[in-house]
Amino acid sequence: MDEKKKILVVEDELALNQVLCDFLDGLGYATAQALDGLQALEKFGVYKPDLVLLDVMLPHLDGVTVCEKIRETSGVPIIMLTAKTDRADEIAGLEAGANDYEFKPFDADKLKHKINNWLRSRQQPENLKEIVIGPIHIDIEAHEVRRDGQRISLTPLEFELLQTLAAKPKQVFTREALLEQVWGYQYKADTRLVNVHIQRLRSKIEDDPENPRIVVTERGIGYKAGIF
Amino acid sequence: MAGSVALSIIALVAVGGFLSYSIGAGLFSTRLQQVLKDSTRAAAEVQSTFAAASATDEATLQSIMNSVVPSLESSTSSEPRQVALLRSPGQSTAQFLQSPISLDLDTAIIPEELRVKLRQTSGRLVYQSIEVPDINGGADPAVVVASQIEIPVAGNYELYLVYNLASAQQTLDFVQNTLFFGGMILILLIGGVALFVSARLVSPIEEASRAAQAIAAGALDRRVPTRGTDVVAQLGESFNSMATTVQTQIERLSKLSTMQQRFVQDVSHELRTPLATIKLSADVIEQRREELPPAARRQLDRLREQIDRFQNLLVDLLEMSRYDAGAVTAEFEEADINGLVGYAIVNLQELADAKQCQIVVDIPSGPVLAQVDARRIERILRNLLSNAIEHGEGKPVEVRVAASKLSVAVTVTDHGIGMTKTQVEHVFDRFWRGDPSRKRTSGGTGLGLAIATEDAKVHGGSLLAYSRPNEGATFRLLIPRVPGQETGAAPLPLGPKRPKKEVSDA
Repeated sequence: MDEKKKILVVEDELALNQVLCDFLDGLGYATAQALDGLQALEKFGVYKPDLVLLDVMLPHLDGVTVCEKIRETSGVPIIMLTAKTDRADEIAGLEAGANDYEFKPFDADKLKHKINNWLRSRQQPENLKEIVIGPIHIDIEAHEVRRDGQRISLTPLEFELLQTLAAKPKQVFTREALLEQVWGYQYKADTRLVNVHIQRLRSKIEDDPENPRIVVTERGIGYKAGIF
Repeated sequence: MAGSVALSIIALVAVGGFLSYSIGAGLFSTRLQQVLKDSTRAAAEVQSTFAAASATDEATLQSIMNSVVPSLESSTSSEPRQVALLRSPGQSTAQFLQSPISLDLDTAIIPEELRVKLRQTSGRLVYQSIEVPDINGGADPAVVVASQIEIPVAGNYELYLVYNLASAQQTLDFVQNTLFFGGMILILLIGGVALFVSARLVSPIEEASRAAQAIAAGALDRRVPTRGTDVVAQLGESFNSMATTVQTQIERLSKLSTMQQRFVQDVSHELRTPLATIKLSADVIEQRREELPPAARRQLDRLREQIDRFQNLLVDLLEMSRYDAGAVTAEFEEADINGLVGYAIVNLQELADAKQCQIVVDIPSGPVLAQVDARRIERILRNLLSNAIEHGEGKPVEVRVAASKLSVAVTVTDHGIGMTKTQVEHVFDRFWRGDPSRKRTSGGTGLGLAIATEDAKVHGGSLLAYSRPNEGATFRLLIPRVPGQETGAAPLPLGPKRPKKEVSDA
């Protein structure tokens, strides 16, 4: 039996932070609390969590900045929590490298599901060490993507998305299928999440993101890897 | 401005033409009177000369006759004149005298009709306007005056006096030139005045008109420049002060409205964190449900139900405030409406089962594609369906889908207690309840149909209701296949096939 997975809960509202920790305790996780952005970075270094629940609105250092700072050194899954419902805020968080987004007030089952999903050890496609799509080389073991030999830095989610599409180059993935395979959602979620990440992935790997060739849109269905 | 100058020019030409004509006419008639007076006197002189001579011999008469021309030419007269003394034709006596004629006078210019006229009027003066060649090869206006002279022995002679009116013509030319140049100067002056007036009066008015249009188009801080203290400046100042008042008022109202919307949004946001805490707290207790006594479990269920309802209300409030703030951006994508209908039905199957309500579906085979924001369309359908199930009293709920080339329509019909006309009119109002005493079973927020209406409008479509008491209700969603395009005729009727009786527009 593994030792308990560790989750850092960053939330300035003490009551909510406490309830979150109790909730996660009940699910069998170990937790640590941080009440502001600076504390979050401090605790992150010491506690070395397996996952971070990160509120967006934080004193001293906001959640998006905290997320960026963590991303400088770690690929640990980050789920952002927010009371805001603006699309722009969500995109800012995803741009900063968050894996997922959860709006307050969150559904306990949904949150549990997301946490489990991000902590689940990812199943690698069997026997695949490297996938090539045109100029893109995906090194699965090293978790690296190179374009013409140049390393491209992708967030864990973007890497996952690209790898999922590339592993089955003939298959067209619907947004729902991607949500299930990449995000691990078993329920109906907002498929626009997929669109946002596909756009961001394209902006990093495509020559011309307006005319994508590596991640291709199948009109009315979804996405697939380009054929070269 | 060009118009007023053109009008001035026309008026000037008319006045100038009239002046020129009347001066010319006046000048001519004055000269003519003078000429006739001179001629009368000259004729009398000539007649008396012959009468006094009492000569009968040919030579004497000839010499008197020859002296007539020089004496008439030289005698003081208003105009230079030429003279001819011609024998009247058709006399029985023989002609023996030479007719004296001024040297430079060509008798051919004397019109024949004048000569005839003279003989017919026997002894009176007659005259006619003619033209005589001038030295430059042109023609001068002239008057020829004729009178009869009786010469003893020699018979009847006719005295022709040709008055050259060149000097009068010169005077007239001079007057006309003066009028012409004066007119030109006046026109220039009028142009200048018009320019001045336009700069002073017309352009401020035009400027005010442009400013008014700009303000109407939303540039509330637009003003007109004002100079001086005249009536135009006053107009500008009044305009500006009106614009300022309007601007202040509009800005105050829009600020108030923005503040109100912000307030709703802020409240919704602020409520989220405590709600999240309460909700999660209840879920933590739920995790340990087994440890609770039965009564506490029931309380926990109520608690969680109400928390969910609270959350739904918050979500709807926030969505409504987004619509009010105009902050909604729909994301259109091609989707199968049949699929969305199916999805909404699956979502509500549990509620339908609980109400023992059967959902009857009548949809075309194959996909019905339209450019829609699938999330919003699904939300509309969920709303209509849950209302129909709730008010359907366990009778079947019918869902129909039909499409035309331009649009797609979905109707949801229940056979419950229905609504009166007044109720139908209010059914899309916020927080409206058909029957306040009716229990709220499915925990609707009261914003469902208001949001659904906005959702339909975002697509450029409509949501309408038809209902009669005890006959149930039909709600019809009509959306264009492409957002914002024409829907054309609805592919599904709203009410029963009978003539429509109570229809309310969303």
